[in-house]
Amino acid sequence: MDKLDVERLGGFAGFGGPSARIRSRGVCAMSDLSAKDRSSVEDLLAQKVKSAPNPDEFVYRITKRTANATSTVEVPESMVPQALKNCVKDELL
Amino acid sequence: MCKYCTIVPHDVLVRLSKDHSFSAGVRQGLEKTAALDSEIRKLREQARKVTRVGLSNAPIGLAAQLPGPPNVVVYDCHHTQTLPGAPVVNPGSSGDPTAKAAFTVTTDLVRFYSQIFNRNSIDGAGMTLISSIHYGSKYNNAFWNGTQMTYGDGDGQIFVDFTRGNDVVGHENTHGVTQYTLQLVYANEPGGLNESLSDVFGSMFRQWQASQAVNQADWLIGKDIMGPAATAKGYICLRDMANPAAPHCLAPQPTHYTQYQPGMDPHYSSGIPNLAFYSAAMAIGGNSWAKAGQIWYKAMTGYGPSPNLKMGAFADRTRKVAGQLYAGNAAVINAVDQAWKKVGL
Ligand SMILES: [Zn+2]
Repeated sequence: MDKLDVERLGGFAGFGGPSARIRSRGVCAMSDLSAKDRSSVEDLLAQKVKSAPNPDEFVYRITKRTANATSTVEVPESMVPQALKNCVKDELL
Repeated sequence: MCKYCTIVPHDVLVRLSKDHSFSAGVRQGLEKTAALDSEIRKLREQARKVTRVGLSNAPIGLAAQLPGPPNVVVYDCHHTQTLPGAPVVNPGSSGDPTAKAAFTVTTDLVRFYSQIFNRNSIDGAGMTLISSIHYGSKYNNAFWNGTQMTYGDGDGQIFVDFTRGNDVVGHENTHGVTQYTLQLVYANEPGGLNESLSDVFGSMFRQWQASQAVNQADWLIGKDIMGPAATAKGYICLRDMANPAAPHCLAPQPTHYTQYQPGMDPHYSSGIPNLAFYSAAMAIGGNSWAKAGQIWYKAMTGYGPSPNLKMGAFADRTRKVAGQLYAGNAAVINAVDQAWKKVGL
């Protein structure tokens, strides 16, 4: 089953930075997403370009893992479907 | 330039408008929205250009004479992620402490920029300051989206209400000032400078509100928004301008330019110029906004747009400005020079 690793980065607090003690991560199955959200995720992954966020806007690193390959993209929060935003959980290290 | 100011990105609107699972009427509506979005984007950029040209050609002092103080308005997102939300009537006397804080702290920030730097609002021309509160659910962030400030409530564990931090309010509004002045891109060295300027002016505002001299200030960023779970683990702030690598920071930072690498998150690399400002202000003494702040402000606003400005070039600007503003004051000029040398610039 295809899985998505999702990590929320940056923001005012600098989530997920090299020394940061705060991370926000989650995993979700493509099969759990609606057809519309799956299509949005595929569109984002197809971009393959790193887009600049607005200042302090979160960035989402989305990695799709299949049996044969992985592909990753980083996109500003404003482009991410709500279902993916919901799958990350903030944690202190 | 802000590429994602609107909630639904332009390419998504275009794609949806071609999606035949929607009715023809809906598709037509989306197409119109996409076209409108594109026009609004052009208009916004045009407005910024006109503002820049207008200000650069205006007789000295005219910009300050024309508009009155800016309006400060507050909107309530009611825990949705739709901006700006519903307007809050009379936020200054609201029973909602978040609405009241967003209004009163932003209003005080207007006074700070006006009295200390003779700047009228974010754009220097009296632009209305819009703050949206209660954004999202337990949302652990605050941000500037290219046109307004946005504040989450925090999850109550790691973070509390982001409007509780006057440095947060100063930080987000200063992203607006940077957008209207240096226009720094938000990546690599200019991104780190962009973040640092927001921390520098946010921290100065916090010190100004408390009438603190540099040696009385804590120089912490995010101290007042730390939640009980974070403080229980010994984290007292997000960043510490006096000691960016300190273990009491939730996000410790580098302290020397030799540690800088391209692609670093701006919230990480900003530790380098943050430490330079702290060191300069401490060596000069007194109030941070009186001399060090004046130098940083002129280096930020006195040269026009420099989107790809690197840290070293900004350092040299502050050296030059220190010599112009405080000619003959070797202590100030030397303090600025040594502060940058300390971080390897
Ligand atoms: Zn910022």
